Parts: sequence; C-alpha cells; structure tokens
Amino acid sequence: MRGRTASIIVLAVSAAGLAVSIYLTIAHYTSPRLLACGENGVVNCEKVTTSQQATFVGVPVALLGIGFFAAMFVLSLPAIVDRPGMRAARLILACVGMAFVLWLIYAEIALIGAICLWCTFVHLCTFAIFVAVLVEASRPAVPASQR
Amino acid sequence: MSKRKKRPVRRPPSGSTPGDTTRTGTKQTGTKGAGTKGAGTKTAGAKPTSKRRPPPRGARRGLLPRWAPWVGIAVVVGAIGIALLLRNTSSASATKPASGQVTSAISSVPAATFDAVGVPSGLAAPKPLPSGTPAVEADGLPLVLYVGAEYCPYCAAERWPLAVALSRFGSFSDLSVTESAGFPEVYPHTPTLSFHGASYTSPHLAFQGLETATNKLGITGYGQLDTLTPEQQRLVQTYDAPPYVTTKGGIPFVLIGNRYVFNGAQYLPDVLRGKSAEQIAAELADPQSGVSAAVVGSANLLTAAICQITGQAPKDVCTSSAVTAAAKDLGS
Repeated sequence: MRGRTASIIVLAVSAAGLAVSIYLTIAHYTSPRLLACGENGVVNCEKVTTSQQATFVGVPVALLGIGFFAAMFVLSLPAIVDRPGMRAARLILACVGMAFVLWLIYAEIALIGAICLWCTFVHLCTFAIFVAVLVEASRPAVPASQR
Repeated sequence: MSKRKKRPVRRPPSGSTPGDTTRTGTKQTGTKGAGTKGAGTKTAGAKPTSKRRPPPRGARRGLLPRWAPWVGIAVVVGAIGIALLLRNTSSASATKPASGQVTSAISSVPAATFDAVGVPSGLAAPKPLPSGTPAVEADGLPLVLYVGAEYCPYCAAERWPLAVALSRFGSFSDLSVTESAGFPEVYPHTPTLSFHGASYTSPHLAFQGLETATNKLGITGYGQLDTLTPEQQRLVQTYDAPPYVTTKGGIPFVLIGNRYVFNGAQYLPDVLRGKSAEQIAAELADPQSGVSAAVVGSANLLTAAICQITGQAPKDVCTSSAVTAAAKDLGS
C-alpha cells in the first residue's frame, strides 16, 4: 500500500467515523434511546453510552471521537497530506486514538459488561486508520511530484 | 559520497532486519547492473527483475520499520485478549457468604407481601409431570432438585424465587452470594445466590441444589464445581428432556418431586440488573417493586407446586390466598 492509497483510506474512514461520532454525540446530548441498536444484554448501546466511562474528564467520548476523526480527516486532505510533519502528526494521532479505543473496549468488556454496536463501528474505523497510518509510516515518503 | 547519493534509498537501519535486507536488498541491488556493477555506477538500462519498485529518488525514509504495522496489529489484538482475560478474572465477583440481611430477607418475606404480589402475568409456571411418574425422594422425603451453574444468568434469576419458596418449608444455611458471568454471556453480572456449599433442612422435603460450574472462565471453560451423583444424573437425563421440557439439558433445571419440572428462568434476569444482592433482598418485602413482582410472584408458583409434594404442609403456607391462586395457574 503506497502512501497515497493509505491517505485515501484514512480520508474515507475518517469521514465515516466522523459521521457516526456526530450521531453518537447527538444521542448523548438528547436521548440515548435515539440509538438504533439492539438490546439483548450483551449488545446494549444505552447501557454503554450512559455509563460512567462514556465521558472522559467531563467530555463525552463521542465528542472526542468527532475531534479525532475531524483532525485525521484534515491531516489527510490532499492539499496538506505531503507537508512536512504531517506523517508524524497522523502517526501520533492514530496511536493516541488507538490507545484510547483500547481503553474503551476494556471498559465495555470488563467494566460495563455490554457493547455498543455504533461504538464498535467507531472502534473499527480507528483500527483501520491506525493500520493504514502505520503502513504509511513504514514506507518511504514519496514526494507528490514523483508519484 | 557521490556514490552513496546515487544509491537507492534504503530503509532506516532501525527497521532493517537481516532477513529484510537480504530480501529487499537482493531485489533492489542484486540485479544485473545495480548489484554487479555496484551502487553508484550507472544503472540505466539495468532493469530490475523484481516487481518491487525501488523508492524514487528524493523519497524520505519511512518513519517506522516495515514490520511496524504487524507489530501494531499484534499489540491491538493482544490488548483486547488481555481485556477479555481481565474481564474473566477480575470482573466476575467472587462467591462470598450471604450477609445476614440477605438470608433474613429471603426467609422472612411477609405473608402480606406474598398475598399482595400474587402471580403477576408473564411468569413461567412449572410444568406438571404425568400421573404415574415414579416417586422422586431423598431420605424418605419428596425431593426438590435444582441443577444450575454460577455463570448462567437464568440460573442467577431462578435462585432467588427458589430460595424464597423453599424458605417457607425449611431453612438454608451457608448460602452464598455471587453473580453470573460477565460478557459475552447475556445478562452479564446478574446478582444472585449460590447453592454450592449451602445446606437445607426441612421436615417436609429434601432439597439438593447443585452448581456444576463457576462463573470464572478459564482456558478450558468455566471451572467445575458440584458433581452429580448417578441418581441425580438419571433424573436430569430423564426429566430435563422432551417431552417433559422443551429444551434438552437446559439449565437451570428444577424438578419438584414427581409432580412438576421446568428448565429456564421464570422471569428475565433483566429485572435484577445493576442491583446488589442486598438491594434485591431489601426489595423483596415491597410488593410494589419490580423485583418483588418477579421474585415473590415466581416463588408463589413454586410454593404452590411444592405444596403438591408435601401434602399441603405446612398448612398456613399452602392455604394462603396467593398460593391457592397460584395453584390454579399450575396444571395438574
């Protein structure tokens, strides 16, 4: 996977993650029952999104998701994707995002005892971005003029 | 110096393993011209045989070694695995002796509460066994047999009404409190009692409560607890199967003498979600609470069934208005 492919993947996945994060944030500030999510004990969006772990230092994690995906989207835009330092910025942001998602997965599995499908979609988006950015960072950076 | 500049860009030393260098290096420099004439000499016309393109001139080195994505994936998968392990070791609460408040609340639900709750709709009733079913006894008394497991959420729900009903005919000692297993079991962490290690005495009936497994998941599954005797196994194989019950081998399995049988819970464990054993115990006496409606209502049905095997003894229990009404909900 070339750097260009990776940045396109990051761009697309960031857009999808951003959309779901906006949806989760709206649900957080209105009613968690808005979430179109099955409830059978294990899958329970409401239980997850109303849990203590649904906020981080007072900020809803869904809102943090918006910030993460928006930042990743901007950093991957064709206009600035090749600017100096952008690869490192994407790498750092992806690692931080992935670490945070691992904490959220732990919270769902071990602390809350339920999983939220919408949240899981966001986690998968973050994982995809993480892998794409790692692949990009492990390849030599090719200036746009030589592609 | 000039020779180095003309060389194809190599990966950073930190990311180069001997294997990598050999593999990619051979492909990049081991070709005619590039390899034999040496890096730095003219490579024009020396087409690489490899499909992998050498990085273009001017390309910056990768920030990470080539194997970094694989390490990243392994770290993520490993972390999720550790979270699953932690869930099974730390989040499933240990079984501990039931507090005096819990045991007292179970054995002293007011008669007025039993009558006020009655039998709410939606509760599953024990199914009658055909007439002529051989006697099911232990120590000369009619036997109530329960087989379940500590990880099982439906068992977690069913123990409450069973303990409440049996406490009207005798008394428990050494009851424990615990909870059903966590994710990915349904209704994770349902608070409950455990019959493992408990004893029961009654002048009217014998009770055998067996928990076949713990709520702690190990590499080979949930840990083993109680082992069924050959006679208990025979009863389970005979009655925990169609036509007596719908699902073969389901737990919780409850056999009430030779009169009634069922497997599964009488109500959904969701009612108990998020409550501690003490909170559940405290709500038993309140006929307005959802816990009381589910637990005490189910206990009324069980009591009516048990009265059928004790010859309607004790009389004050078996002739109470709630039990009399519940008896009508039981087939015969």
